[in-house]
Amino acid sequence: MIDKIIQFSLSNRLLLLVFGVMIMAGGYYSYKQLPVDAFPDVSPNLVQVFTITEGLAPEEIEQYITYPVEASMNGLPGISKIRSVSNFGLSVVNVYFKDDVDIYFARRLVDERLQEAREQIPEGFGEPAMGPISTGMGLILFYYLEDETGQYSLEELRSIQDWLVKFHLQTVPGVTEVLGIGGYEKQFQIKVHPEGLLRYNVSLSELIDIIHANNLNVGGQFIERDAEELIVRSVGLAYTIDDLRNIVVKSEDGTPIFLSQIADIEIGGAIRRGVQTHNGIGEVVSGMVVKLFGANSSTVIEAVEEKMEEINKLLPEGIKLIPYYEQKTLVAACVTTVSKALLQGMILVIIVLMIFLGGYRPSLVAAMSIPFSVLFAFIGMKQFDISANLMSFGGLAIAIGMLVDGAIVMVENTERLLQRSDPAESRVHVVARACKEVGRPIAFAIFIIIVVFLPLFTLSGVEGKTFKPLAFTVALAMLGSLLFALFIVPVLATLLMRRPKKTKTVSDGSEKGLVKWLLIPYQPILRFLIARRYLAVILAVSVMLVGVVIYPRLGSEFTPTLQEGTLVLRLTMAPSIALTESTRMTLIVERRLMKIEDIRGVVTRIGRGEVGAHTDPVNSAEIYILLKPREEWTSATTQEELQSHIRDEVGNIPGVLTNFTQPIQMTVDELLEGVRAELAIKVFGDNLDSLKAKADEIAQIVSEVPGAADVQPDQVSGTPQLLMQIDRQAIARYGINVADVQEVIKAAVGGEKAGQIFEGVKRFDILVRYAESHRDTPEAIGQILVQSPDGAWIPLHELATIKEIVGPRQITRENNQRFISIQCNVTGRDITSFVKDAQKAIDENVDLPVGYLTTWGGQFRLQQEANKRLAVVIPITLLIVFLLLFSSFNSLKNSLLILLNLPLTLVGGVVALWLTGQNLSVPASVGFIALFGIALENGMVLVTYLNQLVRDGLPTDEASVKGASLRLRAVIMTALTTGLGLTPLILSHGVGSEVQKPLATVVVGGLITSTMLTLLVLPAIYKWFTDAPAKAVVTTNKEKA
Amino acid sequence: MLYRFVICILILLLAGFGSTVIAEDEHDHGKEQASEEAHDDHGGHDEVSKNGAEPHDDHGEESAHEDIVELTKAELQEFGIVISKAGSGTLKTEITVPGEVVVNYDRLAHIAPRFPGVVKSVFKHLGDRVKKGDVLAVVESNEGLFPYEIKSLLDGVVIEKHITIGEVRTEQDAAFVIADLDTVWVNLSIYQMHLPYVQIGQEVTISSGQEFSDVTRPITYLSPIVDEHTRTATARVVLANHDRDWRPGLFVEGKIVAKEEHASIVVPKSAIQKFEGNDVVFISTPEGFKPTVVKIGRKDLSSAEIVSGLTTGQKYVSKGGFTLKSELEKGSMSSGHSH
Repeated sequence: MIDKIIQFSLSNRLLLLVFGVMIMAGGYYSYKQLPVDAFPDVSPNLVQVFTITEGLAPEEIEQYITYPVEASMNGLPGISKIRSVSNFGLSVVNVYFKDDVDIYFARRLVDERLQEAREQIPEGFGEPAMGPISTGMGLILFYYLEDETGQYSLEELRSIQDWLVKFHLQTVPGVTEVLGIGGYEKQFQIKVHPEGLLRYNVSLSELIDIIHANNLNVGGQFIERDAEELIVRSVGLAYTIDDLRNIVVKSEDGTPIFLSQIADIEIGGAIRRGVQTHNGIGEVVSGMVVKLFGANSSTVIEAVEEKMEEINKLLPEGIKLIPYYEQKTLVAACVTTVSKALLQGMILVIIVLMIFLGGYRPSLVAAMSIPFSVLFAFIGMKQFDISANLMSFGGLAIAIGMLVDGAIVMVENTERLLQRSDPAESRVHVVARACKEVGRPIAFAIFIIIVVFLPLFTLSGVEGKTFKPLAFTVALAMLGSLLFALFIVPVLATLLMRRPKKTKTVSDGSEKGLVKWLLIPYQPILRFLIARRYLAVILAVSVMLVGVVIYPRLGSEFTPTLQEGTLVLRLTMAPSIALTESTRMTLIVERRLMKIEDIRGVVTRIGRGEVGAHTDPVNSAEIYILLKPREEWTSATTQEELQSHIRDEVGNIPGVLTNFTQPIQMTVDELLEGVRAELAIKVFGDNLDSLKAKADEIAQIVSEVPGAADVQPDQVSGTPQLLMQIDRQAIARYGINVADVQEVIKAAVGGEKAGQIFEGVKRFDILVRYAESHRDTPEAIGQILVQSPDGAWIPLHELATIKEIVGPRQITRENNQRFISIQCNVTGRDITSFVKDAQKAIDENVDLPVGYLTTWGGQFRLQQEANKRLAVVIPITLLIVFLLLFSSFNSLKNSLLILLNLPLTLVGGVVALWLTGQNLSVPASVGFIALFGIALENGMVLVTYLNQLVRDGLPTDEASVKGASLRLRAVIMTALTTGLGLTPLILSHGVGSEVQKPLATVVVGGLITSTMLTLLVLPAIYKWFTDAPAKAVVTTNKEKA
Repeated sequence: MLYRFVICILILLLAGFGSTVIAEDEHDHGKEQASEEAHDDHGGHDEVSKNGAEPHDDHGEESAHEDIVELTKAELQEFGIVISKAGSGTLKTEITVPGEVVVNYDRLAHIAPRFPGVVKSVFKHLGDRVKKGDVLAVVESNEGLFPYEIKSLLDGVVIEKHITIGEVRTEQDAAFVIADLDTVWVNLSIYQMHLPYVQIGQEVTISSGQEFSDVTRPITYLSPIVDEHTRTATARVVLANHDRDWRPGLFVEGKIVAKEEHASIVVPKSAIQKFEGNDVVFISTPEGFKPTVVKIGRKDLSSAEIVSGLTTGQKYVSKGGFTLKSELEKGSMSSGHSH
């Protein structure tokens, strides 16, 4: 079949050339269309449902909002998990879908069910709404409003942000939402003096109704006058503070009592759960631009930047938008990192080709494989919706050296045959012969490389999402290179390659330049080893031993962290901290940071702003550190150094935990599982107190199990609450309803909205609330008056017991049940046995109430699942590889010989990791996989040739030496191209290089051992693996075919 | 053929074996990773403690270590931590109660015609000042048709007048209400829970919320019964009212110092922190700041009495204790995300 393909190519040369050009053009077009991202998006497939209910405690949020929302989501198709967090004032329900569910479909399902949920949520407890159509990588640009005049209040700035900047930015295609934070949302505040209520005998709820009733416009249809219609409308909206002041609350004997007599009315800021500060100076107003799911990051960012220019012109004099975080820089950096590696790799590969093939013609034919395969891969990426990012382009960078392998082998063989061929034979015929000779093994070798990447496609979760694009592009590019080798190389060879001039004698040793020099020591060594095969075996075994010795010394990690190039210092403060205090502490830290020379500025987000991107409580702050350009750094040269320098300078801040993180990592982590420890025990149950008690108990027991380390139950409590328990006896005495009391508490302490004030399209809430001094202490709250039906005024402390308790910080639920997790790491023993022991200890010592259960989770489970899958996938892969080998050679022994390559290949990778001080990690494993493919390919090329020589009648030993010498060039060349193609990745320090470095290291290291093995051990022990008896059969088969 | 088949099976077995070896390897990675992370964590701990705080281990050895926070002078200032000396003080419990200015009923006269008859003339009108004995009106009696004078029984002001010329008046209703506004009453509503703290003779500060200044007067009367609607008792204060500022009907607020007690150690409430379930005050020692468990006695709005745990003259943190407490609780704060 392969022969037919080659024959076909050669007889339709023009057609194929046109096809080739078309594919390359198509590739270029696809490349232009590819969405460009920084990293592959690893966010889980989920729909978030947010419900804001100002002022409710976690328990109530859970009961009234989270539960109905969760319950209504049960049983949706494609759902994988429901997880919820009920915080103070905010309910977040994450509905996770399986990865293959379309996000818009999922959202529609959720939306339908939300209707149900809304009916279950009591009136006035908030409206559940879905989060933005975005992912963890959707936060593409953060900016703040700089006020150079210093004359705008925080309310004014926030209004500019919310009503001007936001509206304009949201019109940019690809922007799904703009979320504001910082400053104050403007409000018309009616600060009620309780004496006033008492004096004029008006209750708070009456007051609210009155304000509502005095602020509206109505339409009165129309009247006809003569032939015209006049629309009738009545304008009664309040527009200003004065309009509100003059609302008549009551009229006593014709004397109007105005609202201003009972309350102070002023413009103020709404209650907030987040603050934005900068440079240790004070608060700023800021916004976050959220990209639509699937939109092209770089295009959207560009469009947003253009829009920001326009907006800057619209803004009042002295106000400017200053971006302080842009994903663009990251995208650009990633693209630079990989394109640099790609380009350098390409150049190195071409140099290698030039040196070994000698002459630009064959080199050109082989080198053309790179652009062709890469462009072919682009077409595939476009078809499979793979964005151009660090990993997918990284895949190309890895493949670059392998892409030329097929072409090299073909070109090399063609060149050799051209040299030796009879001048009478037509060039096309020689090319056809040469290509057919190696076509089959090349096709199999490339197939094997593609197959070897199969296990990567079975990775799941974050690793899967990270490495699948890489596997895809490698596979696509390899496929491209196969097509190139089979269809285009023969064509190009006939067009470009010439018969060499007969200056040198055409003999077996007729290698040029470098290879000739290599052959001088190589042949004697090989002969020596062939004569003493046991030495070759000893060599192989000792290499193996080195690997076995070093392997346990390697550290291990899951996946190295991608450096995003933006430093975020995260502050975690006491859970009960007030926003004012956390702002104060943050400003202190900011001032410390500003003292560091290399820092240009800092911008901090504390808590959360408009819901949609972050749900952090007020005890958490994220400081974005804006650095001076790297060239101007004085204290450090690398980011790690700078990080540790900053850590030292900031020092210890009492009551504040600091740790460095990165914007995307942070957001994605929040969306993912949450538990980052090795092991997590989740205790599910109903009662918060017993849950906590049991969790503590389990933590105690687990910490006594040998090997346990850092056992830590979740801190779920710690929020002080002022609990007002209504005394039913007392309210009965006065004839008051519970609701009457609670309404007053809600309105007086928390505030109640009483309509809105419109300023054009802007609308601002009217908030009725007691004046601050009448509600800011427990004592003052006790004095809040409630009116009984017969008109008596009764203070709250007569109707309710007021006590301070410590309540839950938040309530987490998974699949409809409350749970607390206990995190734990394991040292010095293997996890499976630890889990077994710990579970036994728990079963024996902890008496869980009915309905309570524990489950084990964490990274451990993910890893276990991955191992389970791999235990199936790897044998299957090996089987497929073996079958491919077998069908290629028709010989078990040959196939085995080639498979023997694998363990020895591993050694080089392991040693390389050890020498460079890197850890075993997922990318390193990917490297090993790639290595398998290359090693198999090398082995195949050699064994094929040896077989051929044996078939030609040479004695096995002689065939071994001759074949190996002849293939030396091809083997060294493919190894060098692959190795050098990867070198830029090893040496790169660019953004994202840390993920590809271990991969490249493993491949390069492995190549060294594998090449050595292919060249020395394999020919030496070849004799044991030839199918001597089957020889005749094979030859005849071959000839028949 | 059979031979080849057998070898095929053998190879498969070999492949299977190889893969289990690989799977085992993966397994080992996990183990190493665990120990690696554990190591990192310890590193983290050292990091935190390096710059001041004693390393504190939350893993079960609570008794073995002491909670101490060390801070430099500059840091105290930076973080707004204030140190004070423990000493005596007074605790004042104030109650704020609503009240109303009313006419002094002891200086009020309801003046009615002695006999029914027709009103002939009226001399005094609303707001007029009258002296005792002044003629207010003349009424012609129905019986005998003789005119008689209605006289004021009091020096004061006419605050009500229900009489017009030509009207036939009966003797039942007051024609004039004369009040002496030189003194007024303030009736304060005392809620049930405050009753134990309110006694006759106690000083009350009355404020009207208007321009004129507050006055402080003793309670002269406390109602022996409680109103069945409002469930409040009435406390009364008499105010001098020569300037006529305290107009009856005015709504006022009364502040009663319910208790004023002396205590040997009084600290501001901001000094007291809840730590590990106890009330603590941070004391300043040569080694650093240490939380000491205290017993709290009486409290008022801003201060609290320390019954035990703090001695006179001891230096303690009166402001900023929260920061110190948070520092000690740092170990248990999760550094990860909220879920």
